[in-house]
Amino acid sequence: MEALYKNFFRQKKKVDPVIKALEKVPIFEHLSEKELKNIVQLTHEREYKADEYIFKKHAPAEGMYVILNGKIEIKDPGSGSIFASLNSGDFFGELALLDEEPRSASAVCNEPSRLIGFFRSDLLTVIKRYPKLGNKILLNLSRVLGERLRETNKNIIKLK
Amino acid sequence: MDPLQKIYKILLFVIVSFLGWIILPFFSPLILILIFSFLLTSVFLQSVDYLEGYVGSRTLGVVVVLGLSVSVGILFMGSFINSLGIQIKTFSNKIQKDNFAIAVENLSTEIKLLLPEFFNNLVPDGDKVILMAKNFLVNIFQNILALLGSAGNFIFITFIVLVFTIILLIEYHDFKRSLVRFIPNKYLEIGLRTIYNIEKQISKYLRGQILAASSVAILSIVGLFILNKVGANITLIIFIGIIAGLANLIPMVGPFIGMVPAILITIMNNIGNESAFSHYIFNIIPSPFFILDIILMFIVVQQIDNNFITPIVIGESVGLHPMIVMIVLIIGGTLMGPLGMLFAIPATGVLKVLLREIIFISKNSHLL
Repeated sequence: MEALYKNFFRQKKKVDPVIKALEKVPIFEHLSEKELKNIVQLTHEREYKADEYIFKKHAPAEGMYVILNGKIEIKDPGSGSIFASLNSGDFFGELALLDEEPRSASAVCNEPSRLIGFFRSDLLTVIKRYPKLGNKILLNLSRVLGERLRETNKNIIKLK
Repeated sequence: MDPLQKIYKILLFVIVSFLGWIILPFFSPLILILIFSFLLTSVFLQSVDYLEGYVGSRTLGVVVVLGLSVSVGILFMGSFINSLGIQIKTFSNKIQKDNFAIAVENLSTEIKLLLPEFFNNLVPDGDKVILMAKNFLVNIFQNILALLGSAGNFIFITFIVLVFTIILLIEYHDFKRSLVRFIPNKYLEIGLRTIYNIEKQISKYLRGQILAASSVAILSIVGLFILNKVGANITLIIFIGIIAGLANLIPMVGPFIGMVPAILITIMNNIGNESAFSHYIFNIIPSPFFILDIILMFIVVQQIDNNFITPIVIGESVGLHPMIVMIVLIIGGTLMGPLGMLFAIPATGVLKVLLREIIFISKNSHLL
């Protein structure tokens, strides 16, 4: 009977791949499905070709990207040194959510990629429309930045 | 680019522009409706976003915000029409009475005595004044009838604007997302920045204008109330205050529009009143029917608005040079009348943001 119910009556929950990708991002951690759906409504899904720049160094920065699929390289165009190679589920550019400083490196696609963009104006809209959710995201963002700061301090001590 | 392709592009642009020029007049009412809906959306967006956070449903938020605003609007209009009717009825009764004719005759003679001989021909005789007043009343009635005649059209347009506003308010963020989809990857971030800046500019300007208009309305009501305390006998002060506040939305010309109903009503109410006619400001300057008092009061309100309220609530949000404000007001007024004057400043503000962003993009084009 249970098998019959499972096979015929209970619909399998379709999980949106964007929600699936977002819930793994530390900035959107500990959010309910409804809250994630609210975020998805504000994000921008974009497709990029291979070798296409997502942003260039010194360009005005507006927000962060989450990789749905594809490969992205974060690099310094001057020296050519690669800071990071990112894959599906990774995210970058989150500092731009908080400040208006220009990009510190370039981001370029190594292969055709699909990204989710979440920008400062979207964050401000979340804060206005869903203040509780906005607070959760800001708290997560502070935690991510705090971890980065701790990591940087450790590296400085190591270098000394 | 291939020169032939370039020529094709220019040709296409010329054809599209020409077609647009031909089609535009047919769509201008729709464009105006859309502009009004967009402006109303900008006015209510913040309240709807705020309410949605609390009630959890955007539709409910829109219903509550718009429902309240429409109810207040209907109440105001109903009450205004009713009070205006009473005012006109009282005045027309006054005109019919004999002592009114004597009062007007006396007034005409007194004005002639006060003025130098050169101006005497300019002052009409008492019977002419009564005829003018009667014609004025007939004109008001005719205008009201004409207004009622076009009320059906007005109600229909208001209804369409309201429906568009409801749709825009509910779907605003989805519409914006759909718009962003058309922006090429290269210009995504700069495009979002431009949209955000335009939104910020319009919303800041509109909220500032509403706050400034409310302040002017309240200050005018207080001013008229004080004038009534010293015997000005001005009725409909709340409506005059609100009209002055609304007129204030049109820069430079608005404040003068606000004075007109107050002056008309004080004359209507005080004709035949000897003490009102021989009134003096500060016992020095003659101010028949408190007309100078009213003008002075509106000037004081304007000064408070220009020097204290507007700089605080609007600040440098639009930041246009007074010369440019005057030029765009004239252009707006010539093209679309009072509506054009109302839209001229926010439209110029949006153009300014667009221009700033275009300059920014062209300066940073190597980074995109």
